[in-house]
Amino acid sequence: MTRRILTALALVCALVAPPLAADEDGPGPVVVRDPHYGEVLFHFYKGDYFSAIVRLAAAQEREQLVHHDDEAELLRGGLALSYGQHEEAHQIFRKLLDGNTAPEVRDRTWFFLAKIRYQRGFVDAAADALAAIGDELPKDLEPERRMLQSQVYIEQERFDEAIELLDGWRGPAGWVDYARFNLGVALVRKGEFAEGANWLDRVGRLSDDRPEMLGLRDKANVALGYTWLQNDQPARARPILQRVRLNGPFSNKALLGVGWADSDRGNYRAALTPWTELSDRNLLDAAVQESLLAVPYALGKLDATRQAAARYEDAIVAFANEQQRIEDAIAGIESGEMINRLLESTAESEAIGWYWRLDAMPDATESRYLYLLMAGHRFQEALKNYRDVLELRNNLLEWKDKVTVFQAMIDTRKAGYTERLPRIEAGLEAADIDALRARHATLEARLNRIESERDLFALASKRERQLVEELDLAAEHPTFALSAPEVDDARRRLELMRGVLQWRAEKDFDARVWRQRKLLRETTRAVALAERARLAVDDTRINEPSRLVDFDHRVIQLTPRIDAKIAELELSLGAQRAYLHGLAIEALREQQRRLDTYTVQARFALAAVYDRATAARNDAESSEAAQ
Amino acid sequence: MKRLLGVMASVALLAVPAAADDNTARALDSEVADLKKEVLALNRELFLLEEELLFPANSQVALFVSMDVGDFFALDAVQVKIDGKEVANYLYSEREVEALIRGGVHRIHIDNLKSGDHEIVAFFTGKGPQGRDYKRGAELTFEKGLGAKYMELRISDRQSKLQPEFFISEWE
Repeated sequence: MTRRILTALALVCALVAPPLAADEDGPGPVVVRDPHYGEVLFHFYKGDYFSAIVRLAAAQEREQLVHHDDEAELLRGGLALSYGQHEEAHQIFRKLLDGNTAPEVRDRTWFFLAKIRYQRGFVDAAADALAAIGDELPKDLEPERRMLQSQVYIEQERFDEAIELLDGWRGPAGWVDYARFNLGVALVRKGEFAEGANWLDRVGRLSDDRPEMLGLRDKANVALGYTWLQNDQPARARPILQRVRLNGPFSNKALLGVGWADSDRGNYRAALTPWTELSDRNLLDAAVQESLLAVPYALGKLDATRQAAARYEDAIVAFANEQQRIEDAIAGIESGEMINRLLESTAESEAIGWYWRLDAMPDATESRYLYLLMAGHRFQEALKNYRDVLELRNNLLEWKDKVTVFQAMIDTRKAGYTERLPRIEAGLEAADIDALRARHATLEARLNRIESERDLFALASKRERQLVEELDLAAEHPTFALSAPEVDDARRRLELMRGVLQWRAEKDFDARVWRQRKLLRETTRAVALAERARLAVDDTRINEPSRLVDFDHRVIQLTPRIDAKIAELELSLGAQRAYLHGLAIEALREQQRRLDTYTVQARFALAAVYDRATAARNDAESSEAAQ
Repeated sequence: MKRLLGVMASVALLAVPAAADDNTARALDSEVADLKKEVLALNRELFLLEEELLFPANSQVALFVSMDVGDFFALDAVQVKIDGKEVANYLYSEREVEALIRGGVHRIHIDNLKSGDHEIVAFFTGKGPQGRDYKRGAELTFEKGLGAKYMELRISDRQSKLQPEFFISEWE
């Protein structure tokens, strides 16, 4: 039993592991003993979790999964997880996992539940599930559990526990680097900069060329570089930030930081190099926006007043244009088209269910401003919810149409039943199946007698029987009692003919019996079929009215429930839409506020430049006048 | 101006995704979970009603396609005829073939049949050994009695001959 549950658990694991890993290490084929269980698996593997759940529930109700009872319940838990019903999954697993479940199964299941909860953003609930894991997990999962636990601790600001968990841990290659990164982050956030920096520095010097490790390396270097900048150690920050790849996702932040490291040490000329490079990049990035102020700031420090003023003026214009574009984007969102465009852009996405996420941006004004928001967890989850509710509504709209057809079918059947009943009853009376069965029994008894008595002429042809009768009759004629040579001759001929007939009948007897047996078997089948048809007709005659009433009742009570649920779904769609719009507009307003701040700073700086220029001119004029 | 840096440093240090911690998100999430549960329950009832209404157990015959390893045959399509009449012609996507290989079973057709003898003929089309076009048939005459009948259309690898095998049987 445990082995079978582990197989089912492997299915659940396949759900929870990232799709690529599932392909590589996925469980082997499942041995299906009930076709309906196999059908659930088919939908599950296709990623159609909704259909899988519905079919599983229907099959469980009809008791069609007798060979897969326990696995089916575990699969139901796994399906609930993949369909985003983590509370439902939790209830199922808790029921399954209490009592005498094998510890290995229990611990693995809690681990996967923790993982799903964490990825959905429920950190405290993930912590509870992690706490329920008893012994150490198998080797393949242990590093991941440790990493998940440390991330949960860090998010819960339980830095000491995170540090204790990670410090000195020796895990497989790759995992160790993530552990070091998390350890560094925990130490820095706890305030132990020197030690935290030490760990981040080790990750920042990684020589692993795999893309995810390059990403981790960049992340560590940006984190460490900015930590040093915040601690007024620009000289230490600069080489660290210079390690970041120029074309990676962290390059803008790194360039900005390198500039600040130079500028903090008074080397404004050097700072201009990364900042100028940055100012030519896409203005959507906050680091690029900041560089528009940083470049004239450095120019000002280098007394290039005119250039600084021109750069500040350019920045103010650029910020104003950007503000206008954001305002247009907000209007676009308020018109309500944003969500439709987002969903359309991922309509062809291969990702499914729990893994589904928005990965292609629609070509619309707002998209370029919402990139960060859309890549974020909160927006993705809300969009996923919206999509799910939309599908639920469409599903019920389809059922609503179907139920109307069902009602028409039931009405037609009722009418057909009333119309056909008299004819069927008349037909049943005419077809006397009992008499048919009795005749069949008589025939069988007769054949048995013929065979056991070897009644040769019973199965002979009519002509043969006629000839035998005639010969037997002739033999009894008084003439044959006489004794005369002619009579003796005639008697011998008569006996010869009788003998020939007897020999022929003897020869054909077995074949004739076999043929009759065959015909009798066919008759047996025909009688059985007639009896079965009779039973079916009887069943229909007796049960059809109550069945139709039952269907009628079910359709009548389902219709208002469907309508009510559609109305609820519509309301929920409205709420989800408003929430998504709110998130998007808030993100855009946040960008506007940042641009406002930058604009104000640019204006102040520009005024200061003009002041300095005017003061310088006045000084020059005064000294000229004095001369 | 340098105070702006503070925001970035904290962003860079957030190694973990942000939690869905605001109340609206939680409320909506829980509302969606409730709706999913209720609509699933409603779907289960509707699914049962539809099957019982359209395919009563007495006359129901369901045909399921199953497949084991799949080394010698890459399935494209299955065509099914019952008593000489085409009832299904299904083209499988890559994901569906993968689902079959992993143990999933596809209900390709469900029908109502009268009591008595019936003949199923299935044609399996795809790529056989060495990637050649491959089409094979299988047939079975079966007796439909009272009660639902489940038939299996099975594609199997025959290791000894390095060939795929196709057969139809009643699902016991």
